[in-house]
Amino acid sequence: MKLLSAKRQNGETAIAYALLAPAALFIAIFMIYPIIYVVMMSLYKTNKLGILQNFIWFDNFIRLMKEKAFWEVTARSLLWTVLGVTLKTVFGMIIALCLNIEFSGRKIARMLFIIPWASSVPISAMLWKWVFDHEFGLLNHTLKALSITQNPPVWLGTPIWSFVSCMWVDIWIGIPFMALVFLAGMQSVPKELYESAEVDGVNSLGKFLYITLPSIKQVIFIATLLSSLWTFNDFNTIYILTRGGPAGATDILITAIYKNGFEWLHFSDSAVMAVVTFLILMALSVVYARVYFRGGDDTL
Amino acid sequence: MKKLTYRNKYKIVVVLLTVGLLLFMLFPFFVMLSTMFKSGVEVYKKPPYWIPKEFQFNNFIKVWTEYNLLGYFKNSIIIGLGTTFLNTIIIIPAAYSIARFRFKGRSVALYSLLAMQMFSPVIIIISLFKIFVKLHLLDSLFGLVLANTVITLSFTTWLMFGYFSSIPTEIEDAARIDGCNRMGTLIRIMIPIAAPGLVTAMIYTFIQAWNDFLFPLSFINAQDKMPLTLGIYQFVGRWSTQWEMLNVAAFLALIPVLILFFLIEKQLVSGLAGGAVKG
Repeated sequence: MKLLSAKRQNGETAIAYALLAPAALFIAIFMIYPIIYVVMMSLYKTNKLGILQNFIWFDNFIRLMKEKAFWEVTARSLLWTVLGVTLKTVFGMIIALCLNIEFSGRKIARMLFIIPWASSVPISAMLWKWVFDHEFGLLNHTLKALSITQNPPVWLGTPIWSFVSCMWVDIWIGIPFMALVFLAGMQSVPKELYESAEVDGVNSLGKFLYITLPSIKQVIFIATLLSSLWTFNDFNTIYILTRGGPAGATDILITAIYKNGFEWLHFSDSAVMAVVTFLILMALSVVYARVYFRGGDDTL
Repeated sequence: MKKLTYRNKYKIVVVLLTVGLLLFMLFPFFVMLSTMFKSGVEVYKKPPYWIPKEFQFNNFIKVWTEYNLLGYFKNSIIIGLGTTFLNTIIIIPAAYSIARFRFKGRSVALYSLLAMQMFSPVIIIISLFKIFVKLHLLDSLFGLVLANTVITLSFTTWLMFGYFSSIPTEIEDAARIDGCNRMGTLIRIMIPIAAPGLVTAMIYTFIQAWNDFLFPLSFINAQDKMPLTLGIYQFVGRWSTQWEMLNVAAFLALIPVLILFFLIEKQLVSGLAGGAVKG
């Protein structure tokens, strides 16, 4: 009897693996193998065709780490992520607070706020490129018409304004997700908490600081974590708006990997940056996985 | 007339703030709605203005006939449906396996599924390019289907895993006592019960494939193989851009994704934020 059940157990395990096989095979060929290949490439000398020549250990890494440009791009990636996530959080919180109050038309407002997230990122970036046009774009026209400034910037022309413009579009895409998650968190806070606080004469700010924020702590954490991964990975916005220009002023790691590989054929540099990026993403996703499962999920 | 109490005044401020924020957030779409009715000459008028002098409704015809939008649309639909199909047949058995069996490596599989969602395709784009050259998948819609599936696989498996796990095992056991085998229970019981989840996963996959820009940018050169994102990007010229055409095309390309997105938005948020957001 024991033997039978063991056999049965083995049979079950075989089924489990068989069901998993197509997905595993797919990931092995199109994800694991490519990752291994990139790691190899970062350790080899490559020619202009990207063919591996000879194994040189970490020479590519050492060479790149001596270049100022590499550190600039890495630093910009971090600035991009931190600034982006912070502003997304702030804007998302403001919108969530607005939508958490009952007024007629709230459902429609919520729907409209989602549109920037719902629409296709590359297409949004193209729309923004037109909005930012300094001569014919309606943004500068509107700024002048509202007399906010008579001398609006050449948005995609100078290094600083290009960075600001790209950053804003990335933030704009990311705000709705933050707002929705925060709102969902706020709506699950028990109403009694607010009522009893009101009895004690706590004002709105106090209620926000002492009830809302602590109650949605975990929601905020997981949303900002996810958002930092997305922000860090945003290729489309920058590539479409500025292609990393002018003069590399808007390049972050993700766009630099692409441009080094596909446009300049600097395969080793591209591979080194890809490996660095991969390690950063791995570290962040380990944190995400831990937090995700800590939410009382006992499936593991 | 109601008296303006403190509460009401507060509410008015919130409503005004909301309207202001909405105008701010939807700005590029207002620009789109204005530009898509302008003529090619009007777009380059200085100073620009919001309301077109004469609404050019034939922009909507020109973009299909003169700018090959139909071809781009067709390619996007093929890629979207192809990816959805391939992704679905891969994730259903995988998610079922992780949800119902206990085997060695299961928690590794779960962790990797979650971690892979954070992955950026840019990291492997050069390796993929090399693989695609070997497999003759450049300038191929099937190649884009494969590439997109790699990206959608992890999140959608994760989503289906959640749905399958939430179905009580007793239901399955009862069916098996009645003589239904594993395959039978999966097809006749698990999939119908998890149908809402499956629909979410399928729509999500379609949207991802529809919005993808990186893969066609890297793997597609032939004009007749371009999907919408890359096709519309071609409107941006080195010296001048037909902005009115780009805006019409963008408008038409956005409608399907917006509709689909609103269908799954709630499930998407709770799927991403996990236990932290429920209901």
